[in-house]
Amino acid sequence: MMRRIAAALIVVLELLLPRCAMATTDVDVEHLLTEAAAYEGQTISVVGELIGDYGFRPDGWTWTQLNSDSYTTAPLLEDGDLSGSNVGIGIRAPASLIQDLDPPGDYHHRGPLVRATGTWKYHDQDRGGETYLEVVTIEVLELGKRFDESADPIVAAAGVFLVLVAMWLGYRSRLRSAD
Amino acid sequence: MLIRPSREDLRLIGYNLGRILVVVAVAGLVPLTWALIAGESAPTASFLLMIGIFGAVGYLMMQRRPQASRLEWSHGMVIVSLTWLIVPAIGAIPLELSGHYGSFIDPYFDAMSGLTTTGLALIQDLDHLATSLNFWRHLLHFLGGQGIVIAVLSVFAGGGAMTLYYGEARDEKIFPSVRSTARFIWLVSVVHGAFGIVALGAVGYFVLGFRPFRAIFHGVTVFMAAFDTGGFAPQSSSLGYYHSAAFEAVAAVLMIAGALSFGLHFALWKGGRKVVGNLEVRTILATFLGTLLLTLGGLASAGLYQSLFGLSRQGLFQVLSAHSGTGFATIPSAELATWGGLAFGGMAIAMALGGMASSTAGGVKSLRVGLTIKALSSQVRQVLLPEGAVISTRYWHHGWKQLTSGLIQAVMGVSLLYVALYLLGTGVGLMYHLPLGSALFESVSAGANVGLSVGVTDPSMPLALKLTYMLQMWAGRLEFVAIFSLIGFLFSLVRGK
Repeated sequence: MMRRIAAALIVVLELLLPRCAMATTDVDVEHLLTEAAAYEGQTISVVGELIGDYGFRPDGWTWTQLNSDSYTTAPLLEDGDLSGSNVGIGIRAPASLIQDLDPPGDYHHRGPLVRATGTWKYHDQDRGGETYLEVVTIEVLELGKRFDESADPIVAAAGVFLVLVAMWLGYRSRLRSAD
Repeated sequence: MLIRPSREDLRLIGYNLGRILVVVAVAGLVPLTWALIAGESAPTASFLLMIGIFGAVGYLMMQRRPQASRLEWSHGMVIVSLTWLIVPAIGAIPLELSGHYGSFIDPYFDAMSGLTTTGLALIQDLDHLATSLNFWRHLLHFLGGQGIVIAVLSVFAGGGAMTLYYGEARDEKIFPSVRSTARFIWLVSVVHGAFGIVALGAVGYFVLGFRPFRAIFHGVTVFMAAFDTGGFAPQSSSLGYYHSAAFEAVAAVLMIAGALSFGLHFALWKGGRKVVGNLEVRTILATFLGTLLLTLGGLASAGLYQSLFGLSRQGLFQVLSAHSGTGFATIPSAELATWGGLAFGGMAIAMALGGMASSTAGGVKSLRVGLTIKALSSQVRQVLLPEGAVISTRYWHHGWKQLTSGLIQAVMGVSLLYVALYLLGTGVGLMYHLPLGSALFESVSAGANVGLSVGVTDPSMPLALKLTYMLQMWAGRLEFVAIFSLIGFLFSLVRGK
């Protein structure tokens, strides 16, 4: 009986130990920014939209920004609500992790929604005091997508009308000056 | 007795204001073209509307041509102060239509912040903003930094143009004619623009690995914000977005160039003789080193950075940004808010003092600081010398000049007005229960047209605080005289006989 219990314990430990070694903390980005020093050197996971640019640098690293705010799930162009400024962190990852991803978020796109896991570097001595996440794995949670946007016809019509009015008034004042 | 302005006065003001609005309408063609090229339909329509309003209002004001063409001082000052209220109001329309703002006061705040080269922002979800609108925010920096009126003067300078030139807080006439001076200011900007955009774009493309269009976009926008000591950035994390010492270095060179007076640029272009002896240069070097040492000492004692390179890179950039009035940051607002003690003091003093007079920077200005110190030391010497001794104090500022009591009074008066302006915003902040440090920091940032924030400037802040900061940005940029003239003009319009 004891042998069976011991064997079962060993199996359970074997299953748990590797997970403990890889244990990461899921951190909310807003909290991370306010408690940045507390996570220094820790392996953490953050969820958010990759946005801005993918900067593929000559040293093999790629830099981008990960935003974790309401706009990642409810973009303004899809009738999402305003909820303040963006909340994001800089991340750097090996180029191989980034190069096949959808375009980063911008006016026309919602960037890929990812879970990025890596080491949090706070005031990194090797990089002149920068703060960022050095990513080891990226898991794509949702693919990026293109937004539909179009001009408001009333705004466009009012614009054309006022430009024509301005041109007419300009022409009139020139005629008067000539007189 | 107050004299009520005549119809002719109003016609003169309206006509010249109209001309300025028409020039801004023409400037609006640049972001319109950008929006068309970038395939941004909604911004294209909103820029068309903005141009139409600028053009229609401008030409409408020009319909009644005045008899006289020569502007008097009061006309020039009123035109300038109204320009700096109307242009951001109409310029805010495309921003409002973008859907990135809660109410119209927010885009008006941002347009005022852009035009006055402050850099505080209430925009929400900046990272998804259309590139053309982002470009327009930065173009407002450029128009404001150069001086919208300077743009008009370089085209139309007529009788009394000097009043407009001085109204925009410029007091150095580099060439005998205002038109030549205005053109020189544009030449300096174009030369720095060519260098800045190429350098920033090259770093963006070759070092940071951006795509070519994005490298140009970052180069153009960051150049305009850096050289015009504005502080808007194309991404929400300001210059911290780039994670690059090389990019920061190029931006720093442009920030320094922007904080130098155009008179000094002229002296440097002519060979730079006696530049080091210039009172303004010596003062800005001394105050910069002083505030840098304070900030670095504060950061070192707080143990925020473990390496000397980290400490000096972050400290130097933040102080340079504060002193030049730029407002770029490489650290988040939340982190800047934790800089206490000496570091906080160093940053606040650097912001309050500002750059050089007749530059794109804000704040009290180095020349006034230098003259105040000269005046104080002259007073001390007077006390120490025997009664009846006469002291003559001279200073070098593009030539030897006498320090007169009239000059001292003027310098002290404007400096005290800046202190009052900083205290006004601090007081309103305290009314809304902000901590003293945060209220003071944000108020100085607005009044000195800097743009650094410890997190107070936010879309959810009270309306009265938004209006106070807007007033501070406007008054700080125009250095009070034009604004007092407008108040006097409006008063005499109502109460005059």
